[in-house]
Amino acid sequence: MTTYTICIFTENTFGLLNKITILFTRRRVNIESLTVSETERKGVSRYTITIKHDKREEVEKLVRQIRKVVEVLAVFGYLDDEVVYNEIALFKIATPIGTRPIDIETINKVYKAWVVYWGLDYVVIEKAGNEAEIMDFFRYIKPYGILEFVKSGRVAVGKTPQGLVEYLPQEVHGEYYA
Amino acid sequence: MDNQLTMIAQQEIASAEAVLTQETAQPMTTTDVIAEGPRFLSGAQALMESLIAEGTEVIFGYPGGAIMPTYDALFDYTDRLDHILVRHEQGAGHAAQGYARTSGKPGVCLVTSGPGGTNLVTPIADAIIDCTPLVCIIGQVKSTLLGTDAFQETDIIGVTTPVCKWNYQITHPDEVPEVMAKAFYIATSGKPGPVVIDFTRDAQVGMMDKPYQYKKIEGLASYKPRIVPKDEHVQKAAELINNAKKPYILFGHGVLISGAMEELKAFVEKTDIPCASTLLGLSAMPIDHPNYVGWLGMHGNYGPNVLTDQADVIIAIGMRFDDRVTGDATKYIRQARVVHIEIDPSEIDKIIKAEAPVVGDAKEALRKLLPLVKTNNHSTWRNEFKKFDVIEEQKVTRRELKEEGEIKMAEVVNMLSQKTNGEACIIADVGQHQMIAARYYQFKKPHSYIASGGLGTMGFAIPAAFGAKKGAPDREVVAFIGDGCFQMTIQELGTIAQSGLAVKLIILNNNYLGMVRQWQQLFFEKRYSFVELKNPDFVTIAKGFGITGHTCSERDNLSDSLDALLKSDKPYLLEVIVEKEENVFPMVPAGASVVDIRLD
Ligand SMILES: Cc1ncc(C[n+]2csc(CCOP(=O)(O)OP(=O)(O)O)c2C)c(N)n1
Ligand SMILES: [Mg+2]
Repeated sequence: MTTYTICIFTENTFGLLNKITILFTRRRVNIESLTVSETERKGVSRYTITIKHDKREEVEKLVRQIRKVVEVLAVFGYLDDEVVYNEIALFKIATPIGTRPIDIETINKVYKAWVVYWGLDYVVIEKAGNEAEIMDFFRYIKPYGILEFVKSGRVAVGKTPQGLVEYLPQEVHGEYYA
Repeated sequence: MDNQLTMIAQQEIASAEAVLTQETAQPMTTTDVIAEGPRFLSGAQALMESLIAEGTEVIFGYPGGAIMPTYDALFDYTDRLDHILVRHEQGAGHAAQGYARTSGKPGVCLVTSGPGGTNLVTPIADAIIDCTPLVCIIGQVKSTLLGTDAFQETDIIGVTTPVCKWNYQITHPDEVPEVMAKAFYIATSGKPGPVVIDFTRDAQVGMMDKPYQYKKIEGLASYKPRIVPKDEHVQKAAELINNAKKPYILFGHGVLISGAMEELKAFVEKTDIPCASTLLGLSAMPIDHPNYVGWLGMHGNYGPNVLTDQADVIIAIGMRFDDRVTGDATKYIRQARVVHIEIDPSEIDKIIKAEAPVVGDAKEALRKLLPLVKTNNHSTWRNEFKKFDVIEEQKVTRRELKEEGEIKMAEVVNMLSQKTNGEACIIADVGQHQMIAARYYQFKKPHSYIASGGLGTMGFAIPAAFGAKKGAPDREVVAFIGDGCFQMTIQELGTIAQSGLAVKLIILNNNYLGMVRQWQQLFFEKRYSFVELKNPDFVTIAKGFGITGHTCSERDNLSDSLDALLKSDKPYLLEVIVEKEENVFPMVPAGASVVDIRLD
């Protein structure tokens, strides 16, 4: 199975997430992760969806089908080495008095992770990186006691000199979407 | 692998670029259609004005609570908008489909929320798969009640999203003109399809904050299908066609939708290439044209199916290689180089890889191709089809038309074809009778075979028939309907009686769900599991609705019976009792290769 990153640019309209995800469901492709945010262009949303698939052809068909959704402006499909990508994870770690203190220096210097919140009996550590790096840190921090662990979907930008919005139509029609 | 995927990205970039350049080169064109001076309308009135601005003549609909304000507005517009009151919302949808397919205009449906909307889902699903433009306006509860399980609230956006081309919920009257312009544009452009407008009650009742003004839309930033194909695509296609030894054209519904009948004729006449039709492409070429070899697919003709295997270049025009056409697609036209003319880019390479894809409208593509293709003579290749025709005639046609035993469906269709000189508009329902109608009617005029192809929706024919008649009032509209199908939308006899639309209905009554019975006979060891029907007296039922009719069970009466049907200037029902266990041949068994087509 190969991981593909699909970047979808859409008008920011109601119910579009559903219109897009049902295309994956219909073709029985499982969504591994999904992130939606507004782009540098107002009113344009960017979906970053990762999937695993063993047939590139099928991924291409899916990409073309997504393009057919009326509100979709453009779709780009990538392999891992064609994008710069990251995820972000938050770890809530127990720090009750009397237990082994966490090693801030190792966390910062070795794992490039940061404490972003100090609670009375716990800390929240933020770790950004790819899946492997996050899981590495997960294994390191686990003995301290993980109270909660949450990870975002992938965000990715293409390794091309231009930005993708360059390829979008200048004008997004239909102001009534506000 | 890596650079392969870069290719996907680049392809997509290329198409995004195409959109970009189109947009910058020619800014959005809009035509102002301002009705009178500034006027403040309710959402429902704005809807009526919008429909008129789009050239709507008729609405097929059914009222109910959540759409009542719109029906109230309609009451003041009956001088400009005709409305046909159906008996079930499914009927409204199929009628609108029939109307769209004879008139070339989008069919408009108006129904209420909840069950009104869900009853319309089947025709919407039918229209998306058969590329039929529909604008479906569905009432909805007040926007403040959305999500509360209010009376007759159904999430119709959620329900219809997988089966429509586009949908939108209007919650403010100001949105009406713009959304309707978008709806009509999306329904009719590119590959046509159904759009759904979910119209909340408060948006119908409320007054617009701004003066009503209508601007037709001719393009959207996110959606602007390519009409004129790229030069390099056309050149590549011409090259393949010009070098072909045994080229073969497979054309479909796209030819009728784009109105490319004359272009197709000119193209085959110049190149002398044989051409075959899909089920929905039927009647795009007159059957007696020397280059027309027949139709394709599961119950299509013998030669046209088998010879796909010998062509060196296949030119697919406005068709999508449906599995009913290809049989086992992994074995289909493996030897051939493929030119695929298609308006929807996602169809390219979906089932069959195209060496020369031509993305664009069929009419424009053929126009551009015509000067680039060489005048040719393929009579030897064309004659190969004739050999198969002879076999099919001997093994199938002759037997089906033989006047002995019970009346056979084929005889009825054949005789009607002769009596109407191949010029009637034929509606078919779904089953054996549908295939027999396609096999034996000798189409001379375009837009003359209207049936549910992709979805195979039983119950399509009665409503589609009066819709088709509404769209083509001067044509003789005759529907062939199975005894099973007839009972799926039988209530629409009431609509026919009330509207007075003079459609002619022929029940080909074999007392069976014949097509299913045929499969059970051939592939399930004749285990007839729930396919026999105890039918009502159809003629009496029709009489109850106020429709004249009679039953014909003797061959000797068949001709007179058809005369009576055709002579009537009112709706008419003819029930013909036909051979119970006749099978439709040729037949490509499901999952088999088309070359393994069976003749008995
Ligand atoms: C709504 C729907 N239900 C079931 C089917 C499956 N089906 C296809 S053909 C057929 C039999 C149709 O019977 P009839 O109308 O009598 O036509 P015949 O085949 O006998 O000509 C059935 C049940 C279908 N196509 N559509
Ligand atoms: Mg039957």
